[in-house]
Amino acid sequence: MIKINDAAWKAMVAHAEAKFPNECCGAMIGSIDGDVKDVTLAQPLENAYAGAQGARYELRPEDLLEADKKARAAGLDLIGIFHSHPDCDAYFSKTDLENSCPWYSFVVLSVKGGKFDHANSFLPNAEQTVAEKEELIWPKS
Amino acid sequence: MAKVLIPTPLRQFADKHDAVDLTGTTVAEVLASLTQKFPDLRKQLFNDEGKMRSFVNVYLNDDDIRYLQKDATPVAAGDTLSIVPSIAGGV
Repeated sequence: MIKINDAAWKAMVAHAEAKFPNECCGAMIGSIDGDVKDVTLAQPLENAYAGAQGARYELRPEDLLEADKKARAAGLDLIGIFHSHPDCDAYFSKTDLENSCPWYSFVVLSVKGGKFDHANSFLPNAEQTVAEKEELIWPKS
Repeated sequence: MAKVLIPTPLRQFADKHDAVDLTGTTVAEVLASLTQKFPDLRKQLFNDEGKMRSFVNVYLNDDDIRYLQKDATPVAAGDTLSIVPSIAGGV
């Protein structure tokens, strides 16, 4: 299960809506206690995809490395990645799967007409062939 | 000794360490030391053919080893290796 606190959730939604109609992306930071991941900080990151960003995103590894350093310095953990699907449901697409890694939770936010609509979290496997849905709890959900 | 930073989700395969000090004079040697010490990490980082998984990047301090000498990149005492995934996607 992944739980996102109010401050982190507001930052994620604000970033997703601000980047609409493009895809946004970012890192989720917090702590892990057993099977529960608590996200307490969302770090918006630049979508580095070189082409049109309405249906694509790409994270720079060095940006992720910086986010990991920031988490470590705060005594926290890098838990997951978030990105948005503009005017599209929050599913884990073939492109998402083929460019994923199995180590993190992947939260997808659906943004329709510029406003947040719904979200889901996924756990891809190492072969990038299947992404299992993960229970996601966000404020007021 | 070089330090290898272990990403949070991989610590379960590394006796819960967030970083480990390892011997080796190249990136390949340090990673070999890592997977010898923690064999369960091997399948996380390498595929069945022994090649590094496509989504795995290794940084020596702040530099991507792909732009240095890849896994033959020399490692000195006090250097830090980081394991960082490639991540992208889209609708």
